[in-house]
Amino acid sequence: MQTNSGHKQNTWLAVAAILFLAVLGVSWLFHGTGVIHNDVKRNIFIPQELTMPLQVKAAYNGDKMFFRYRWPAKQPSIYHDMMKYGGGQWKRYGDSVPGPQPEGIYEDRVTMLVDDGSVPEFEHYGGYITVSDRMRFFTNEAKGDEVKAHPYLGKKKGQSEVGKHLPETRSDINNWASVIPEEDLAAQRKAGYFLDLWHWRAHRSNPIDKSDDQVIAEARYGDKGKGVFSTNWDGDKKQPKFMFDPAKTGGRVAISWDDLMKRKLGFDDLYYMREDQTKAYDPAHPWKDGDVLPRRVLQPGDGSHADISVQGSARWKDGYWDVTLVRAMDTGNPQDDKIFLHRKLYNVAFAVHRDTMGSRWHYVSLPVTLGLSRHADFRAARFQGDVPKWEQAWTDVKLFYPGQVSWPMLNSTMHAGANKVKQGVPVKFRHSEIQLAHYGVEMEFNNEIRVQWLYTLAAGILLIIGFGIALNVLLPRKEG
Amino acid sequence: MAPYHVMLVHFPIALWTTAALVIVLRTFSDGTLARAADRVLTPLLFFGALTGALAFAVGLLVWPFETAASSPLARNHLLLAGWSLAYWILLWIVRWRGGEQVWQGLWRWIMLGLGVLGVGLQTITGTLGGYLAGNPSMVSEIVRRLGWEVFTTFYLSNWVLATVVISAVVMAVLGMTGARARS
Repeated sequence: MQTNSGHKQNTWLAVAAILFLAVLGVSWLFHGTGVIHNDVKRNIFIPQELTMPLQVKAAYNGDKMFFRYRWPAKQPSIYHDMMKYGGGQWKRYGDSVPGPQPEGIYEDRVTMLVDDGSVPEFEHYGGYITVSDRMRFFTNEAKGDEVKAHPYLGKKKGQSEVGKHLPETRSDINNWASVIPEEDLAAQRKAGYFLDLWHWRAHRSNPIDKSDDQVIAEARYGDKGKGVFSTNWDGDKKQPKFMFDPAKTGGRVAISWDDLMKRKLGFDDLYYMREDQTKAYDPAHPWKDGDVLPRRVLQPGDGSHADISVQGSARWKDGYWDVTLVRAMDTGNPQDDKIFLHRKLYNVAFAVHRDTMGSRWHYVSLPVTLGLSRHADFRAARFQGDVPKWEQAWTDVKLFYPGQVSWPMLNSTMHAGANKVKQGVPVKFRHSEIQLAHYGVEMEFNNEIRVQWLYTLAAGILLIIGFGIALNVLLPRKEG
Repeated sequence: MAPYHVMLVHFPIALWTTAALVIVLRTFSDGTLARAADRVLTPLLFFGALTGALAFAVGLLVWPFETAASSPLARNHLLLAGWSLAYWILLWIVRWRGGEQVWQGLWRWIMLGLGVLGVGLQTITGTLGGYLAGNPSMVSEIVRRLGWEVFTTFYLSNWVLATVVISAVVMAVLGMTGARARS
């Protein structure tokens, strides 16, 4: 029979045990809170969804190469970079910002990096190799003045931000400014050390059925030739260069801001400015507050820059974008484009921008192999005729938000797998897309999380010690 | 040091798992087998703590601290390993100091609870270690369904940390108050 003292002992013991369990429960329920939050001043915005699906198909007929992309989006974002008249001035809306553009003026995009084996790290690490330290919109991004002052990137190439580039274009991957000599860059390009970038944009310039064709080498450039859009702004006069020609637009000289905000303008409406719809801007026109002119003018482009076109019409319908791009298999521009050959293997990686987010707020894929009638992750089917029938099944690709993870970081002591990277172990061998997305988010708060984690480790041990003290002093006396 | 860490962790895992089985057996039985098994519980727990501490120390040498402290999975592994070690040391001390009396009344259930929690901690620790070694298991899916995505660092916000620390102190005070009342 237990004594009165024994009952009291049990009560103290039970209270301590319940408290211990309660604290464990609270810790479990509320872990991982209090650190991760959006902070646009630090260029931090975490998308609600960290992964998304993309479906792709590819086909070729010996002359042309077709890629078809399908992905979900809550709504089509087809407005981009507008100027609104108010108080006698034109104000820009739709520039890149951290996270979603507040007015919803930012276009959807799908991009594809292509390599033919000339960029060896790309096969294993995909777009990660193009992400340098101090990239645009990273928390520690290089300032525009720093880049503009760079003798090659800024002064010669007109770059104003640190964008995607390849590691071997730098003498030190940890220093974006350490560009190797120009003759070496030229030799690299000749040897195929560049990535071909297919860049479709819902505003620039899907309305004219064109896609941008770019290249990533020591920076991201448009291919040679005239691009598929230009800028409608005269910096000296601080006014647009062009306005709509009412004779060609059914009497309209501008778009209505209200229509944009209510998302009234659809694919068949005037929400973009085509080169042949314009006339010189007339400051004497009686502009009204709320008049809007697009800040980009769409143009057919020429040369290598305009190699890629939209096949049919790229449209959003029933919650999905369906975009097909087409290009000559051999463009005749081997220093801008990867030439597609029957029976050859390539490496590709995809990215999607949606939900009015731009810049680094995209979803990316790991690299996949593309085989032209070859066994590969993603197989391009050969067909006869002018247009593919798309009878093959979709290839599913999972895209993820990459956060602020750079190639220098992946090769540093901050990355437990840095030695595996040096050994060439592919990223997909060790990491899944969702894992990479979580890591990307955590890297944006690495210092804060590390501190909190150390406190948590110490607090947990303290809790065990506290409970241990309670148990030990309440231990029943040994018999005998 | 990774291969040596992997080799060493087998000892505490085996010893602590065996100890947990003994605790379960002894909780539900006063029979000869259960009593006989209980007689080796203290050595099991002692050697479990000893080899656990050794494995933990060698584990710290696998990567520089900068590396381990920057990887969510490594952070979680280190966190759970530290807690597991501390927790099983607590169990050893309790059983060692309490002797046979820990199987009396409420203590028996406290021991069972401690054993189950200890196995849970070491299982998650081992799973995370498996991930780091390139051998992920489905245990992480169970943990995920219980509310923790193991690819994210397990950390507590400041108010939860304060709650934990205050509770630790309160538990110690509760114990000492109870002990004083007994004497």
